[in-house]
Amino acid sequence: MTTETEFKPGIRNITEFEAKAILMEYGITAPRGIVFETLPDKIELRFPLVLKVSDASIIHKSDVGGVKAGIMGIYDLLEEYGAMKKKFPNSEFLLEEMAPKGVEFIVGVTRDPVFGPVIMLGTGGIYTELFHDVTFRRLPIGRPDALDMIQEIRSGVFCKGFRSTKIDCEKVADLLLKVSGMISGGKLDIVSMDLNPVIVSAAGAVAADAKISFPV
Amino acid sequence: MFNNLLSPNAVAVIGASPDRSKIGNAVLENLVNQGFQGKIYPINPSYEEIFGLKCYADISSAPGKVDLAVIALPARLALSVLQECIQKGVEFVIVVAGGFSELGGEGKKLEDSLKEKLKGTKTRLIGPNTVGVLFPHSKVNTALTPGERIWFPGEGQIGFISQSGALGLLVMDSLAENGTGISGFVNIGNRADIDEDDLMEMFLEHDETKSIVAYLESISNGEKFFRTVKHVNMKKPVTILKTGRTPEASAAASFHTGALATDNRVLDGILRQVGVVRAYSEVELLDFGRALAYARPLRGKRIAILTTAGGVGVLTTDLLTTEDSRPALAMARFSQQEIGQLKQHALPIASLNNPIDLTADGSTLSYASILNILVGSENVDGIIAYALPQTPKIDTSVIDPIAEASRKKTVVVGVIGNRLTGNLMVEFEKARIPAYPSVQRTVSAMKALYLRNMYLGRLLNDH
Repeated sequence: MTTETEFKPGIRNITEFEAKAILMEYGITAPRGIVFETLPDKIELRFPLVLKVSDASIIHKSDVGGVKAGIMGIYDLLEEYGAMKKKFPNSEFLLEEMAPKGVEFIVGVTRDPVFGPVIMLGTGGIYTELFHDVTFRRLPIGRPDALDMIQEIRSGVFCKGFRSTKIDCEKVADLLLKVSGMISGGKLDIVSMDLNPVIVSAAGAVAADAKISFPV
Repeated sequence: MFNNLLSPNAVAVIGASPDRSKIGNAVLENLVNQGFQGKIYPINPSYEEIFGLKCYADISSAPGKVDLAVIALPARLALSVLQECIQKGVEFVIVVAGGFSELGGEGKKLEDSLKEKLKGTKTRLIGPNTVGVLFPHSKVNTALTPGERIWFPGEGQIGFISQSGALGLLVMDSLAENGTGISGFVNIGNRADIDEDDLMEMFLEHDETKSIVAYLESISNGEKFFRTVKHVNMKKPVTILKTGRTPEASAAASFHTGALATDNRVLDGILRQVGVVRAYSEVELLDFGRALAYARPLRGKRIAILTTAGGVGVLTTDLLTTEDSRPALAMARFSQQEIGQLKQHALPIASLNNPIDLTADGSTLSYASILNILVGSENVDGIIAYALPQTPKIDTSVIDPIAEASRKKTVVVGVIGNRLTGNLMVEFEKARIPAYPSVQRTVSAMKALYLRNMYLGRLLNDH
């Protein structure tokens, strides 16, 4: 996986904030957040917060030091903002509430050259690239497909409960179906989408990070 | 729609020849030797007669209707001859020659002109670049390989679609070892017209076909494939072996999803979505094809193992209860009452916990009685029965109780060995009981049956 900033011909990336705004239109939950160039004086978000560089040309933000999570208070925030501003003087920033801890999934969409749009579910977060524990379906999918997908990946075990962690997999299925509804029937013409991680806890399924690219 | 391909009344071989070095020679000979009962028209302006059959100068001079024409001529002649076939109103044309799209460039253009010619006509084309078709029930054999170099399978229940001609012929040659038959074989070649989807529809409507197996290197149209396989597979089991994986296909993608979407992973998910059991080798393809054609559906995952060799039982248990590329199945647990019944029919040294090991002292009679108890047990969904004639008290008549059991319950048979087992394999095949010459293959076949039932249940629920 490439780490540098990249531009692919025929593909237009949007910022995480823009991507999440689209998700929310389709009923997918994302953390509350604001975008700014200069940190505003008054912030109506609940700590802990996460500060991220907001720039459509930076795809893998954490690889370039563009993500600072676990900001506990205002002094923390001022310090991290200062450091981040120095690193990315010409970019905007996204400040968000942190999603509650839970089981991390990756949900994605891409275009298969033979089968067209396909949806992926996998073990998320830092484990995505380590375990490649993923499964695919052709879009659109139904609820039985969504439930099968959950069964097929290792993290599906948390639906039955594992080491005192138990999640409601209907919430994962709901999210998969919302993504399916979003893409199917040509409603949203995208090239690719990564929601990683989607954090599933008692609070529901939250898309903590989102990347969407469109055809130009 | 494909009736005149599956069972033609008149077949023409264009380019038929008495010259052993010509493909038209092998095609005509195979058709004659297979015992085709309809009319055969060799077409070649240079001969009056070939193999005692009247030879015609061109297809238009062949008397009456021609249902199937095999064009066994070089690529450069195919286009004009296809035109003649269309004029004659031939319904199905097989273009044997290579030298088309597989070469790119001029070959691709030539193939496009074939397609162009077919437009708006009633003629359908198989190939080009195909080794031909075999339909044992109607005795149609247009294979390009001389008959003395290969065994062709006899009548059976498996419809076999192959994108590779050579692999198709080799697999068929291997099948003949135990007398496994097929209901049909088509090598789709470059599939300029008829593709894997058309043939799945054909085999779906074909009464002799009980299960469909397909070897594919690529998929002609993803959307159509998805739709076709889903609906065909609901009515007749489809097994697919797909090769030509390209893991690096999207490795350059910048998102995780794009990078992880190798065609192998995507296909894996899609085959599950349409409920198709995936084979990973040519051996599995036909193994599963047989199991799905012959065995009763497996309604659950509790399996009883019956053996006269302890080690075979232990290995079977290990493989069966291990999740590999397919899910683990469960060992059936017998009730106290059942264990009591089993004891009455086995020697005291026998081990009656699943796997049931009758030991080298086990007899055919004892085997039969125990099998009968397993068939009647509500705790057993399927039975793996080993037919091992290497010990003195088990003889080949063990096939009878196994055949009896497989009429009532899902039974997969393992036959390990060589000296006495070859004939036994043939006998099981005759009785349409799925039997396999290794523990691994026996277990995998049972798992394929389990997957089929699981997928089918879900597909039917969806509707």
